[in-house]
Amino acid sequence: MEAITPTEFLNVVNQTLEYAYSSVTIVGEVASFKVNQGKWVFFDLKDEESSVGCFMTLWSLRQPLEDGMKIMVRGVPKVTKWGKFSFTVTAVQPVGEGSLKKAYELLKKKLTAEGLFDAAKKRSLPEDLTRIGVISSTQAAGYADFIKILNARWGGMKVQVAHTQVQGLDAPDQIMRALQYFNERSEVQVIAILRGGGSADDLACFNDEALVRAVASSKIPVICGIGHEVDESLCDLACDIRASTPSNAAEMLTRDRTAEKAKLIRTMEQTGQRVLQEIGRVKAANNDKMQQMWQKLQRECTNLQKTLEQKQKMLKILNPENVLKQGYAIVAGTINPGSVVKITTFKNEIEAEIKKVKERK
Amino acid sequence: MAEKKSLNQKIAALDTEVEWFYSDDFKLEEATEKYKKAIKLAKEIEQDLSDLQNEIQVLSEDFSK
Repeated sequence: MEAITPTEFLNVVNQTLEYAYSSVTIVGEVASFKVNQGKWVFFDLKDEESSVGCFMTLWSLRQPLEDGMKIMVRGVPKVTKWGKFSFTVTAVQPVGEGSLKKAYELLKKKLTAEGLFDAAKKRSLPEDLTRIGVISSTQAAGYADFIKILNARWGGMKVQVAHTQVQGLDAPDQIMRALQYFNERSEVQVIAILRGGGSADDLACFNDEALVRAVASSKIPVICGIGHEVDESLCDLACDIRASTPSNAAEMLTRDRTAEKAKLIRTMEQTGQRVLQEIGRVKAANNDKMQQMWQKLQRECTNLQKTLEQKQKMLKILNPENVLKQGYAIVAGTINPGSVVKITTFKNEIEAEIKKVKERK
Repeated sequence: MAEKKSLNQKIAALDTEVEWFYSDDFKLEEATEKYKKAIKLAKEIEQDLSDLQNEIQVLSEDFSK
């Protein structure tokens, strides 16, 4: 065999490694974690027997790491020009409850301090919602639940679905690309990120720092329906509206057509009643007026009748016949001695001659 | 040509129509015509609520790359 230089040898080794292990996923515990020059990350990934030296850029580290955390990494093996074996990491995700919780708490603290989850930044849903962008796996049960509830509750909406992975190391980048797709086109009014229930490991991708930042900075409002009610991801905290599940997201985005129909019938019945009520009110007001007029007329009639009766009484009193009846007499003619006067009594008419006229004292 | 109203827009329009019946502008002389108009819109909405389907489009873009 022809002799080769160390450089040529390492090139052959690296080509062989790349051919055999173009992408390897390893799970292990972090040890000797350090960041050099604010750019380069070094750590060992170990189990009970072995340890692998890992290298990555700080830029591609999207989960906070500490010694003792259990993580899953993806990368490529390589022998450096100094002949040292290294594993170049392209993606990291904590695994296991303890590590996930630790990474979650560290990142939550950091992003909270930056104000990424501030309530003041939250936007509400548009009033007339007709265009929705969905980011989910079309094979996921959570997506099927969302579509089922959406169709049952409301109609007339245009839903664009970006099919992405919703768990695993590739999920954050895919979801970020879908977010970018919708934001660049501005065709939808809201973006729904959906994933049904799963283990803490399954939902870990929604705690990816770059994805959480992308959700928070989306121009279009984002609603997250991730996991079950008890699950809380950092995407849930960063989005504008948090739904407890994909089904709940569908409920929050739509009205219920059955309830709307019932409300519609009730509204029109009440409006009809309102018109009838007004007709009744006008009728009653007219009746009141008629009643008042009638009463006034009756009062006038009574008053007239009373006046008439009084006048009749007066006339009766003043009737000369009544005076005559009381024994008085009416004397008509010139009152002079010797003249003839006419005397009228109740019973008789008398002609009499005056003998003497004397003034009364 | 006027743009076709969405279901939400029709419901908002009906709400406005109905508000008139409870406002100071209410006049019995105009109520019958207004009520007929509201009933027509309500029937249209009821029909839409029964018939309208959502349009679901799965994008052909590959987000894995």
